[in-house]
Amino acid sequence: MDLLRNLTITSFRDGLLEKRFSALEVAQASFRHIREHDGEIGAFLSTAEESALREAEVVDLAVAGGENLPPLAGVPLAIKDNILIEGLPATAASKMLESYIAAYDAGVIRKLKAERAVFLGKANLDEFAMGSSTENSAFKTTRNPHDTTRVAGGSSGGSAAAVAAHFAVAALGSDTGGSIRLPASFCGVVGLSPTYGAVSRSGVIAMASSLDQVGPITKTVEDAAVLFRAIAGHDPLDATSRPDLGDLYRTIDQPKLEDVRQLTVGLPEEYFESGTDPAVTKAVERAIEKLKGLGLRFKKVSLPHTKYALAAYYIIVPAEVSSNLARFDGIRYARLAGRSGALAETYFRQKGAGFGAESKRRIILGTFVLSSGYYDAYYDKAQRVRTLIKHDFDEAFRGVDVMLTPVAPSPAFKIGERANDPLAMYLADIFTIPLKLGGFPAVSIPVDRESEGLPIGFQLIGRKWREADILGIGQFYERI
Amino acid sequence: MSSAIGKRELEHLAKLARIELDPGEEERLIKDLAAILGYFSELQSLDTANVEPMPGGTDLRNIFRADGGENGGAENTNRGAGADAFPESQDGYLKTPPVFE
Repeated sequence: MDLLRNLTITSFRDGLLEKRFSALEVAQASFRHIREHDGEIGAFLSTAEESALREAEVVDLAVAGGENLPPLAGVPLAIKDNILIEGLPATAASKMLESYIAAYDAGVIRKLKAERAVFLGKANLDEFAMGSSTENSAFKTTRNPHDTTRVAGGSSGGSAAAVAAHFAVAALGSDTGGSIRLPASFCGVVGLSPTYGAVSRSGVIAMASSLDQVGPITKTVEDAAVLFRAIAGHDPLDATSRPDLGDLYRTIDQPKLEDVRQLTVGLPEEYFESGTDPAVTKAVERAIEKLKGLGLRFKKVSLPHTKYALAAYYIIVPAEVSSNLARFDGIRYARLAGRSGALAETYFRQKGAGFGAESKRRIILGTFVLSSGYYDAYYDKAQRVRTLIKHDFDEAFRGVDVMLTPVAPSPAFKIGERANDPLAMYLADIFTIPLKLGGFPAVSIPVDRESEGLPIGFQLIGRKWREADILGIGQFYERI
Repeated sequence: MSSAIGKRELEHLAKLARIELDPGEEERLIKDLAAILGYFSELQSLDTANVEPMPGGTDLRNIFRADGGENGGAENTNRGAGADAFPESQDGYLKTPPVFE
């Protein structure tokens, strides 16, 4: 366990190459730690010990043979269970896919397999990645490793908890409105939501296709840069993945202080109004002071349409959800037993029994906002508001290079506290949603490396394709 | 914007979405949707007549690729591994429940 506690992607590599430990030893220690402690955390929905140990042995042979190894070789990873790994379950934490085994690898998994990463297992999430606490998982609630009476955040709560509890050195999550950054903030780890189009969505079970992005959850910003670089890049199987990125991210883990010092940081005034927990406000002020010490300049900016973002998001997302989840008809991917009947009846019964409450809520809401007579008032209106919100960011980025905000209005809340109030749950994402509507990248970074109380993160938002700016600042922040 | 979905509207939406709801779920959904739609009414105050809708997350246009094996191809689709994952199949084809009983 002491070995695992100190492991990052970069220190794992050093230890592996210096032969202080083998990939197999670390993988075995990870599974031992998972067996002993995941009962109280609930980070994993399934583990893949056999294939993971086999891959670790292959890496050890390569080390012994003096081969040149890619940066992620042998690194034990947790993968959110809406990302497909061939031959392993991919449930998306839904009863609807309880018996589904992935038939192929997601684009990001193909890239990680080429790097010989080790997949420990599939991490818990809110059903189909819809939620902010993992309480919407059909199988279990993930508990926050810092306080097991509290949520880990969501929807990538299993991924964030797996890293925070040192089950995995790093993890992949997916972020639609905050699903990587919120759990990262709640669990005291780093989470990056990349620019829309930077990372392939192929083989990722779709929630809201115009917003979904896969990203890293790690112990350090440097690790986030290394893992992001490994998964970023064009994939012909995702038509929204950008074909001309080239080697844009090649040196993203080697920022230069003189470059970072040139950056101007915007503080959007709408994100610093009342309603935020004083502990969060104080923590974010502490982060700002530290960054001023690095020589960064700060400037107030305004994002005037911020207050409309949550409403627009919760129209657009259910609309896309109602289309994307229509494929889960109980016919093609998995079938719940004991629910036979004629074809049409089968659809009704399978969906009725297979989807949880939040999925049903969004399917019905999405069907409503897209239905004849309501389309203009809701869906079309929300898409226009989306344009205004993106325009706000474009305007603000004329005067600043990055923006700094809180990640969430509060630290991790108690399990059950918001489970029966969907609107209160949606409000947890009020600071993470607006930038997603414009497709911008953002990272959640813990304010303090070790904290007495609950962890709190701050968020850096970058221009499109400028992950190097936010991860550059972050890498110098964590060296302070 | 009308900000309420009644029992009849909900049943119609559930039929469009092909989803079975029990009476308890209906009652809860009507309550939740009223709160959520009430929250949406904030958008009404915003004048968007001269704003273009943003249809998606990308500004890429006309992205094409060959449908070959190197891109996933048949072995990963409905004739290959995809078909193996069907809960019920026959001769590599998806078997569905009968349309009429």
